[in-house]
Amino acid sequence: MNRKIKEPVSFLLPLIFFIAAFLLFPVLGTFWNSLWHDVPFMARRFVAFDNYVGLIKDGQFWQTSFFTIVFACVSVSLEMAFGMITALVLNEKSRLRGALRGIALIPWAIPSVIGARIWQLIFRYDYGVANITLKAIGIGPVNWLGTSVGAFAALVLADVWRTTPFVAIILLAGLQTVPDDILKQAQIDGANIFQRFYRITLPMMKPIIMVAILFRTIDAMRVFDLIYVITGGGPGGTTASLSVYGYKFFLTGDFGYGSAVSVILFIIALTMAVVYIKLGKLRSQ
Amino acid sequence: MLSSRRLLISITIFSFLFFGCKPRTPQLTFAVGGASNEVEYWEKIVSEFTDSTRIDVVLLRQPTDTDQRRQGLVIPLRSRQQDPDIFLMDVIWVGQFAASDWLEPLDSVVATGDVNLADFFESIVNQVDTYHDSLYALPVYNDCGLLYFRKDLLEKYGLKPPVTWQQLIRSADIVQENERITNPHFFGFVWQGAQYEGLVCNFLEFAASNNGGIIDSAGGIIVYTPENIRAADLMHDLIHKHKISPPNTYTEMKEEETRLAFENGNALYERNWPYAWALHNKEGSRVKGKVAAALLPRGHNGQHAAALGGWHIGISKFSDNKTEAMTFLKFVLSYATQKKLALNLGWNPGRSDLYEDADVRRKMPHLDVLKNSFDHAVARPTSPYYTQISEILQQNQNAALSGKSSSDEALARAQREINEILQRYNE
Repeated sequence: MNRKIKEPVSFLLPLIFFIAAFLLFPVLGTFWNSLWHDVPFMARRFVAFDNYVGLIKDGQFWQTSFFTIVFACVSVSLEMAFGMITALVLNEKSRLRGALRGIALIPWAIPSVIGARIWQLIFRYDYGVANITLKAIGIGPVNWLGTSVGAFAALVLADVWRTTPFVAIILLAGLQTVPDDILKQAQIDGANIFQRFYRITLPMMKPIIMVAILFRTIDAMRVFDLIYVITGGGPGGTTASLSVYGYKFFLTGDFGYGSAVSVILFIIALTMAVVYIKLGKLRSQ
Repeated sequence: MLSSRRLLISITIFSFLFFGCKPRTPQLTFAVGGASNEVEYWEKIVSEFTDSTRIDVVLLRQPTDTDQRRQGLVIPLRSRQQDPDIFLMDVIWVGQFAASDWLEPLDSVVATGDVNLADFFESIVNQVDTYHDSLYALPVYNDCGLLYFRKDLLEKYGLKPPVTWQQLIRSADIVQENERITNPHFFGFVWQGAQYEGLVCNFLEFAASNNGGIIDSAGGIIVYTPENIRAADLMHDLIHKHKISPPNTYTEMKEEETRLAFENGNALYERNWPYAWALHNKEGSRVKGKVAAALLPRGHNGQHAAALGGWHIGISKFSDNKTEAMTFLKFVLSYATQKKLALNLGWNPGRSDLYEDADVRRKMPHLDVLKNSFDHAVARPTSPYYTQISEILQQNQNAALSGKSSSDEALARAQREINEILQRYNE
């Protein structure tokens, strides 16, 4: 092999190694595991796609899938709306811009488990801030996490709080690519601030908005830490996401079934990633 | 050239790290976990054993968390490792381990008379340690659900400790109504209803004390029965109808939450494990000296019931030191060692004869109630799939408590899901 080929290959080798070791191998391993009936206290048995057939018949699986999709839709729409508002504010030229940008990022900088724990404490029945505030106004304590609607709202709130800054930063980058002269020109032509936003800023930002939506949707579909800490999937399993559902099987030791849930989740995320890449290509053309 | 040699050296060192072989130990390996003071005390016991028998014992320190302790034993046993030779098991693992054929039968120790089964609680040995008519483990530490109550408050209102659930509800009602005037946080009865293993224990007690239960005579799991539905209704009503249990019972209440509510003077009755006794009576507790314990109430024509917990000792089938392990097992279960564990760690002895010991009784005045409770102990199923069954029970019972499903719906669903799982695993 001559030097011309050898050198680039040697540069690529570590990358290939890391992708294989940390991405390819675990994914294929999980898929392989999902084809087995693997429960402690029993012999391991190859069952092909039996675990997947079990999933299709599993009402709990459909319920958690439905919950995950609803959670992703609601929280991502709210995050996009608030993220856009935050980005527009941060894009305004003001003396406080630097400080505001820093402050806006704080929720994103807090480790998600700690953020989730904070929200769990806020919604606690006996000494949570939410109930203490209500009591001050004279309304009786509410068991926030005790109803499926209340628990769902608490989870969405925590997720929106945490990831709005992330969306805002992506959108801010997009906002800065909108050329000032076009906006100025429109202003001279008599377009008001809303017209300028809807007719110029928004269309020009479309690709980056798509990126933000896809990033966030993939992330929201895999939500685990937030739910694990705040509700643990309760009350009565009504707020369990697919990840929480799959984790349960690893905990109780049904590795094949848990792997099958993981594989399904992976396929969903992969499909979304492929869509994202396709959209990225459209953009560059 | 130099760099490749360096690489070779690093690889060699790394492979030593990963594949470096552990020298085979001729000693006994004893796996035990728990709080740090407990593990330290075990170290002392082990050294006493070595002094008297000249058998070397390596103490394999395990974490505090029960699930991690289980994992730490399942991995070596599954791969048929010779170590650990002997270990402590939570009551619910004994059936799983015995079903997997990982435990050495202990029938020979009993047959030779080295261990006398009469020294132990019959109901516990039968429900936990016996699998297919063979003995696989013995109790080192017994645990069961108790009812704690405030003697001062019952006295204040001229009430007697409750024997039935009806009496508990009535007296809690009276005390709660009056105490609320000065303490708006006061509740009549706190117990564990959050979605976790503790809920299954609480449910078992409510069920068994109302003639229900989840194990049928053939050892199968039967959840959907009229008695169990009544028990689930009772649990639901304590929160939503009688309102003597706090609304966050089914979202937040685990052992520590109930203990703190009781210790802060915010409850009349508390269902908890024996560990709470010492803490309730510790310096700084607001209820110090005002607490007493009793059997958990029973239904109208039911029996008292207490969910069984605790740690049992067993020997690995793959152990290479079985004779030494038997000697150690006898040492741990001896009157002297059990007494030391009770006096120094506050462990409720596995041996029943220690409940009559004057020194132990002085230190643990609630032993009489405990001993009585052990006679009413209800074990959780010893199925190898208990962990999965428990998950299903937790979720559906919690749904019934929250009012999201009726008790009937929730238990019917639990039964269906348990049948499905057992079918999938047994096919």
